[in-house]
Amino acid sequence: MNYISQNQKDKCDMLKVIGVNSVNELFDMIPNSLKVKKLNIYGEKTEQELLNYFANIALKNKIFVSFRGAGIYDHYIPSLVDEVIGRSEFLTAYTPYQAEASQGTLQTIFEYQSLICSLTGLDVSNASLYDGATAVAEAALLSLKVNSKKNTILISQALHPEYIQTIRTYLENSRAKIIMLDISLDGSIKESSVEAAVNNNDIAAAIIQSPNYFGIIENMQALSCVIKKSGALFIAVVNPISLGVFQAPGEYNADIAVGEGQVLGSPMSFGGTTLGFMVVKKSLEWKMPGRIVGQTTDKNGKRGFVLTLQSREQHIRRERATSNICTNASLNALAACVFLSGWGNHGFKNLAETNMSKAKYAFNKIKSLNGFKAKFKDAVFFNEFVIETKKNIKMINKILLKNSILGPLDLSGTSEFFKNCILFCVTEQRTKCEIDRCIKILSEI
Amino acid sequence: MEKLLNELPSSDVAAYTIKSDIKIDVKVPEHLKRSISLGLPSITENNLLRHFTNLSRKNYALSTVFYPLGSCTMKHNPLINERIVKSEAFNSIHPYQPTESLQGAFEIMYGLEKDLCELTGMDYFSLQQAAGAHGEFAGLLVIAKYFKSIKQSRTKIIIPDSAHGTNPASASLAGFEIISLKSESDGTVLPEKLKKILTSEVAAVMLTVPNTLGTFEKNILEISKIVHKNGSLLYYDGANLNAVMGIVKPGHMGFDVMHINLHKTFSAPHGGGGPGSGPIGVKSFLEPFIPIPRIEKNKSKFTLNYKKSESIGRLKSFFGNFHVILKAYIYIKALGGKGLVSVSEQAVLNANYMLARLRNKVDIPAGDRCMHEFVLSPKSLFRDNIKTLDVAKRLLDYNYYAPTIYFPLIVEEAIMIEPTETESKETLDTFIDILSKILFDEIIKEPQKIKEAPINTTVCRLNEVEAARNPILKWKKQ
Ligand SMILES: Cc1ncc(COP(=O)(O)O)c(C=O)c1O
Repeated sequence: MNYISQNQKDKCDMLKVIGVNSVNELFDMIPNSLKVKKLNIYGEKTEQELLNYFANIALKNKIFVSFRGAGIYDHYIPSLVDEVIGRSEFLTAYTPYQAEASQGTLQTIFEYQSLICSLTGLDVSNASLYDGATAVAEAALLSLKVNSKKNTILISQALHPEYIQTIRTYLENSRAKIIMLDISLDGSIKESSVEAAVNNNDIAAAIIQSPNYFGIIENMQALSCVIKKSGALFIAVVNPISLGVFQAPGEYNADIAVGEGQVLGSPMSFGGTTLGFMVVKKSLEWKMPGRIVGQTTDKNGKRGFVLTLQSREQHIRRERATSNICTNASLNALAACVFLSGWGNHGFKNLAETNMSKAKYAFNKIKSLNGFKAKFKDAVFFNEFVIETKKNIKMINKILLKNSILGPLDLSGTSEFFKNCILFCVTEQRTKCEIDRCIKILSEI
Repeated sequence: MEKLLNELPSSDVAAYTIKSDIKIDVKVPEHLKRSISLGLPSITENNLLRHFTNLSRKNYALSTVFYPLGSCTMKHNPLINERIVKSEAFNSIHPYQPTESLQGAFEIMYGLEKDLCELTGMDYFSLQQAAGAHGEFAGLLVIAKYFKSIKQSRTKIIIPDSAHGTNPASASLAGFEIISLKSESDGTVLPEKLKKILTSEVAAVMLTVPNTLGTFEKNILEISKIVHKNGSLLYYDGANLNAVMGIVKPGHMGFDVMHINLHKTFSAPHGGGGPGSGPIGVKSFLEPFIPIPRIEKNKSKFTLNYKKSESIGRLKSFFGNFHVILKAYIYIKALGGKGLVSVSEQAVLNANYMLARLRNKVDIPAGDRCMHEFVLSPKSLFRDNIKTLDVAKRLLDYNYYAPTIYFPLIVEEAIMIEPTETESKETLDTFIDILSKILFDEIIKEPQKIKEAPINTTVCRLNEVEAARNPILKWKKQ
């Protein structure tokens, strides 16, 4: 396949206008010694051949009934989401630099920002960041700019391990130090451990995830009090669907809420593409990384939308920009916008409650199986929970896979504390029948 | 005017519902419970479909108009890419599945890494980064780590003033100090000038080739020599790779680290701002430092290697923007080596043709030849307070998206045009006709029309100053 439309005559005419004899002449400023002789790249396939070629590769990926989450979740995606993000007018536009010719993209981003603010109870959302991990890292950077005399970032040990790694990479050459907050025996972060850590007066921000990596809902209100008293910013990492039931970051006075937006209408797709969302208090809006859309009027007073607060950004501020981000995850933000617009309050709450109820159903059954028990007995969880088992974890998952089930994530490698532990995820996608089947298999191991 | 979601009629039956086949059983302690309203609209599918479809029609997009947005490589996005990506085997896989069940995904990533090596002359690629700027950041961290490993303290990065804003922003994020190098009027770097600011503190020089004025760095071999002689490294911003595929390889020019924007050169659509993908390529001496995990092939099986003690670590969660990676690989398999060469040839031919039709009529700081894009500086044509911004807005009236404007910063009143290889001669001709009409006729005869543009769009010129002065960043609660 080739996507070039000129014919031979066009090319000749064009060369004549330019005043050269051949296309090669257009490259004559490149030293001959550097010219490539041949590109060894195999291809030249027709569309039909491409379909077959990739269908064959696709066979080497397996699809399962998933009981695994840990950052990427199997949620229902309404038909409207695909319909809208598949519209070529959205799909094939660039960043909306020319506002008057980009009102579709700009209004939907404005709506996305509004919906995310509403969901989190905070004031100002940006237009998206790359993913959950980079959103948390950007939040840490933001807090170091705000608290410019403080150097330490507190991070919950129950934050997604890949987010922790990403923050470490982002802060590698900065002045920041990282202190980890240990997980208590009940799987959550305790105020006392935060209290001990904030004593040194050098804390720029504390990062707490809820539901945490092990599924547990943290006592964000209590943690917030301790953190805010120290003058540190409170960065809440949240699962947006859980907010259908649990306290919103705005309610417990978080300064920044960030997280992974994949659950809002993006498929699992091997972990990419997804989006990171970020919402902040009004006072932090000028420190926010990334694009932001604002409402304005045209000269006739008609409402319209533009990219705004742009003097924060790299194309104007260069090395003094709030972030280096340019391309973000706009199409996934559009998916999130469409996703959030069709449930209504009641429906969205029902979605969250269905996740909780199904997870709880599975939890109660699994923990009472022989050889399995709850790791954290009294914890409140959303759609993930930790089970401790005497059985061979590798064997469990092997047998489940044979039955087309992607079983729980093996946490054994995490730390000594999680030896023999597995992390289950049950979303609204799992039917009672699937859950029962999974439990039956577990009971027979 | 399209209403906002919160202004649409509220319905008792919202568009989406799910039913639980397990009894709802939720006991949440009061202090953890949400007490504020969710504030979500409740709208029917019918109304939502109209809302979003109508909004989509307010966009100019590559699928509806010529989109000569310089530096963004707005080439046709083949439909087959979207079709393949939607298949369940690529859409419904979880990143933490056992590697045996993900061999197809790894095969694609591994294959793309290899093809990118061949295309660029680099030795290794990492696909984890989510965009060009993310790639720059990763590449610069690799450079920092390398110098740490050989115990040299090098804290500065040289960047020409013609570079994209992400270059200095990424360098700063990676902990470096930036030395801005004044480039020549065609955006190129004079080796003698560079030599003067190359000190033992310089870790790397970041160049875009061809540069943002569309000019090839003709002294690149000499530049490479003096940079390396100084013990510094050379970074290649690959945003403009569409100009040189199969013509010249960054690795051969002497670049040690580079990034590629898969969402530009490799036909993945831009989605109104993203997602993208920004693979980085390095020479083999830098391989220990690139992000983990690495995909490795043992016999015919792909595995993940997390044990690279010198790696800069992880730049995002999971394995990168797989969908964009897959689209790029489909594109490469459609074209093959020969096709990729013809892409660059045609992209350069198209740009030169447009330039030829405008030369001698408009100032073109980089001269009469270009690579895949060129930059006009029509300042001398302007009168009655008309500016490049006005010309851009007027182009919208003629149903064109506007070129990139006011970038690169070193060109006054810049208009940066990149046609790409997928546009027909007729499209290029009519665009130049219209641009000429605006620049040479309307400016003189109908300046008011330009100042008042656009009038054919769904809104007229929007007040950006007001938007920033008095920010309204979300709708008001009902
Ligand atoms: C020359 C140049 N460098 C870097 C970038 C940044 O790439 P991205 O937007 O993918 O982060 C761009 C994109 O606009 C560019 O044009």
